Amino acid sequence: MPPNPILNNSTVSTNAPPETKAVNQRHLNVALQHANIIEQRKKVEAQVLESIIALMDFPNSPDADPKRPSASDATLFREHLVLFQPSDYDSLIEERNIADKCGYTLCPRPKKKTRSGAKKQFVDTERGVEIVDKKVLEVWCSEDCAKRALYVKVQLNEEPAWTRPESYGEKIELMVENPEEHHKVLPLRLKSENLTPTPTKPSEEDEIAAAWLARDDALADLAIERGEKPGRLSKASKDLMTANIKERVASATPPVAPSLDDQPSQAHMAIEGHVPRENRRDQQLDEEDDTEDWDRHLPG
Amino acid sequence: MDSQAQYTPGMVRMWRIYRTTKQMCRDRGYDIPVEDTEISLEEFAHRCRREDGEPERSQLHYSATPTQEMIHKYTPPATAKFPNPEPQIGSLWVEFNADENAGLKQLREYMVHLAQNNHYSGILVTIKPMTGMAIRMLRNATGVDGQVLGGVEVFVEQDLLVNITKHELVPRHILLSHEEKKQLLERYRLKETQLPRIQVTDPVAKYLGLRRGQVVKIIRMSETAGRYASYRWAI
Ligand SMILES: [Zn+2]
Repeated sequence: MPPNPILNNSTVSTNAPPETKAVNQRHLNVALQHANIIEQRKKVEAQVLESIIALMDFPNSPDADPKRPSASDATLFREHLVLFQPSDYDSLIEERNIADKCGYTLCPRPKKKTRSGAKKQFVDTERGVEIVDKKVLEVWCSEDCAKRALYVKVQLNEEPAWTRPESYGEKIELMVENPEEHHKVLPLRLKSENLTPTPTKPSEEDEIAAAWLARDDALADLAIERGEKPGRLSKASKDLMTANIKERVASATPPVAPSLDDQPSQAHMAIEGHVPRENRRDQQLDEEDDTEDWDRHLPG
Repeated sequence: MDSQAQYTPGMVRMWRIYRTTKQMCRDRGYDIPVEDTEISLEEFAHRCRREDGEPERSQLHYSATPTQEMIHKYTPPATAKFPNPEPQIGSLWVEFNADENAGLKQLREYMVHLAQNNHYSGILVTIKPMTGMAIRMLRNATGVDGQVLGGVEVFVEQDLLVNITKHELVPRHILLSHEEKKQLLERYRLKETQLPRIQVTDPVAKYLGLRRGQVVKIIRMSETAGRYASYRWAI
């Protein structure tokens, strides 16, 4: 095979397709750019894996309170999340569940165990008894953790970290009840709009809760309009979430916290609505094809 | 024996899977007595039956050591710099994971076990496919806790129910030793990159545990041409 003059001394040579003619600078640049993206992607994927390994046994203290995380736990969690896409976050929850932990990273408790071993479970909800997958029920220790976990998920960037613009400063906020401890360190959001550590007035809380209830109703209406069962996990309702996130991030306005007082619909379980699977194959491989066999009789 | 009816479907299934692993290890060149590959269902059930009639997977793990022939195949040729090259093979630990879902936790524990017991490589058989992140960890193969020299392979039980290489349409695949590979390339004045390829993820390649860079000889039977061989470079 004749040596390729263009790709000499470049890191792309093994990845680039064989060229018969000299290519111009533009082509070389494109090739380099692609090689860079592949390189970046590998790095990010390895880092996300390391983050998940670090976070799957989190938090280190068995007494940690997911409502009031320590400043160091919260900071670590947020730092690890910077490169995450929502699907990576789902993977983290999956790995924690396999290790019997509550899906919310700042919670040290075990995930909930359903009483019977049946694959489908009856659950009392506002809308009556619903049948829910056992797997969906056994993700969190409590509804509270489910909401705190979802609050994180909706802030994650759908765009893979290896194609994000460099200026992208990700700021993941956590839902906590001890903002005073994080005040200097983190931009944090209370579940209500009240950022001072003084107790909130009940009337205000009620107002916010009512607003959130109205929002839930609106979501349910939309679901019905789309022919889905309200309150159940669905692709469409997840996409809806996604659209919201992007808008929020772009406009740099802080995400809105779901209230803990809103109704126990199963919508927040949508986090487990799909199982991420790594199925990407190496792309450089030849197809298996008998016609290209290099057949010959045995030597000797 | 009389019939399989007295055994649970789970037991019969596990028996098939277990036998396939034994055949696979033997075909790779590990020192496995042929009787092990033909173990009867009765004997198998006697060994691992739980009270509920299902197999107790933890009773089934085993280790295997390479035969002299296998060690020879996996030893790189001596050079001036390395007059006594180490064989790139060693003891193998086969484990049947009993967890409904296997992820990073199980994979890490397995790798730690391999490292602590100085196994060269491992085969982990899982009930369901492992999580995406566990597969990523395998692929990156930068051992986190314990470095496993020869790597870890993971099989899903379903894929071992039948031995694919026993199918009449699957030709025989034979791994070439370092010298055989060298001779082949010299004889035909080839670089290995000029050989047709076989993916290491190909089912037969997985069965044989082929590693990147190895060459297999594939022997086909043809009504018109008789017996003929081709060679493939594992990538
Ligand atoms: Zn929890």
